[in-house]
Amino acid sequence: MNSPLLARVGLAFVLGSVLGALPLVAQSQSQSQSQSRSLVVSTYGFNGDLLKKHVYDPFKAQCKCDLVIETGNVAERLAKLEARRANPVVDLIQMPDFTALEASNKGLLQPIALAKLKNLGEVYDFGRDPLRNQQAVANTVYLVGLVVRSDKPASASVTSWKDLWRPELKGHLMLANITGNQGLATLFMADKAWGGLATDLSTGIGKIAAIKGNVVTFYTQTAQMTALFAQDEAWVAPVGRFAWPNLKKTGKPLKWVVPKEGQLGVMNVLAIPKGAKNADLTEQLIDFWLSRDVQTALANDLVDSPINRNARPRADALDGLTFGAEQIDSLTFMKPDMVVRERAGWVNQWNRMISTR
Amino acid sequence: MHRRLAWLLLAPALLFIALLFMAPVLALLAGAFRIDGAWALSPLITFFDEPLHREVYWRTLRIAGLATLTSALVCYPAALAMVRVPPPWRGLLTGLVILPLMVSPIARTYSWIVLLGRNGFFNALLQGLGLSDEPLKLLFTEGAVFVGLLQLMMPLMLLSLVSALENLPADVLAAAATLGANRWQAFAKVVLPLTQEGLIVGGTLVFTGCVTAYITPALLGGPQVLMLETLLYQKVNVMSDPASASVIAVLLLVTTLMVNQLLKRVSK
Repeated sequence: MNSPLLARVGLAFVLGSVLGALPLVAQSQSQSQSQSRSLVVSTYGFNGDLLKKHVYDPFKAQCKCDLVIETGNVAERLAKLEARRANPVVDLIQMPDFTALEASNKGLLQPIALAKLKNLGEVYDFGRDPLRNQQAVANTVYLVGLVVRSDKPASASVTSWKDLWRPELKGHLMLANITGNQGLATLFMADKAWGGLATDLSTGIGKIAAIKGNVVTFYTQTAQMTALFAQDEAWVAPVGRFAWPNLKKTGKPLKWVVPKEGQLGVMNVLAIPKGAKNADLTEQLIDFWLSRDVQTALANDLVDSPINRNARPRADALDGLTFGAEQIDSLTFMKPDMVVRERAGWVNQWNRMISTR
Repeated sequence: MHRRLAWLLLAPALLFIALLFMAPVLALLAGAFRIDGAWALSPLITFFDEPLHREVYWRTLRIAGLATLTSALVCYPAALAMVRVPPPWRGLLTGLVILPLMVSPIARTYSWIVLLGRNGFFNALLQGLGLSDEPLKLLFTEGAVFVGLLQLMMPLMLLSLVSALENLPADVLAAAATLGANRWQAFAKVVLPLTQEGLIVGGTLVFTGCVTAYITPALLGGPQVLMLETLLYQKVNVMSDPASASVIAVLLLVTTLMVNQLLKRVSK
């Protein structure tokens, strides 16, 4: 082989390689541009794998962007939001409605362009603008009702929140502590049932203090509540609907009771921190999260009860969900502004009555 | 030259402790005495103005103190027995002693919920022995928290005492006996003074562990038996009250240091 031929073959090879690589370079540049947009989502630490499957991964595929998930309990994530106020890192935060209002009152949230959310029309009315300032949209709702042992006459006949005060339930009544949503719900419904003002809840606190000797404990964790039912310690307790499937696995004869005064609804909301740099993309994520398909998929895996009225969960999942006209119509909600304003006072008052001799 | 080298070798560790431990702890503690940027004692005073806080503090001291005292009384004879068994058996016993520390605190605490329940082992035993006609409320009481903490912390006392007793010269007891001391006198006047370091270390560890424990009081006591650590959790996570949480952190630290000094003084 002579050298000019070798040189020509070599040149053709180099040119071919370069030309062949051009589409790859272009594709990679385009990918890096879309990948360069990245959203930080601040959320709870549980069900991360299922949220990834039903929300994060499908949205990433759709938006060609990246999602970074920050997890932690609400207080910790709210504190971070406050600490980074000047230079917000988080694009979307999930929290209970009253915590979102607390954040909003501190100037940590910005309005969401609700008009851009195509799926908002399918969301239950109460979830569309729960803070009444367009700074949050509910992404799920769950109810707190009563679970009773159906084989014990004292508990099987419970039909009202007021029935928890029956003396025959002494030693078998379990309530939830005020530090959790179920405890707050119990207190609110007790106050309502006993004719309280539903503003200061002192009637409810006084009533609960009067039967603290009847109470097995004021549970702080769902697992603890389930264990106490499993051990026959408790015959009746206020329970969040999400815990119902696990309670049934205890094998005890349990039934769900919708008290005649109603059940309390608790909402988790999605909000955008003030100064977040990707609001437009975040609003797309919120809209995606609220969509019928995503809400149905999350409900089927018992991650969250749907807030989208058109979601259609599988029949075998319904037991663990807050779903259907009967349940949704039975819901009563606490006003988030009242919770924000009064909660610390209620906890102090509760502690004084429950934790002192 | 040697001195400079010594400082150079110490520098990374000192820097690590200063930056990642001392500075955050001091910042946290300072938070308890700051109001609107000015130094003040009022947060501490306000904290103790609340009867609930006084009761919680007293309850924490009472349970931790009782657990420390009980673990010392139970562990001294056990440690004396352990140092007398041949080394291979001692290794096995030490393994058994630290076994509870290797079990998840949550699993261990849940097992107490099963044992102390109305239908649990202890109520069945009490009723079986005719000591009670009906199940007693053992769970979610101060007694339940005490038992849970005692089981959790006792190994720390036992290991401290075993370590101190192992360093006790073997012939001192023989010497005491030669000088006419009976067994009790030999223990009180020779063994106890020579192993008091182990008691101080064990006592401080048990007391500190009890006042700073969260899972055991939270699960076995619940809201009816609030202790400083469970109250601190509430202040931070529910009431968004970092000022009170800082006061509790100061109380925990100061109380632990005071108890350590008290134990040292008593042992002198």
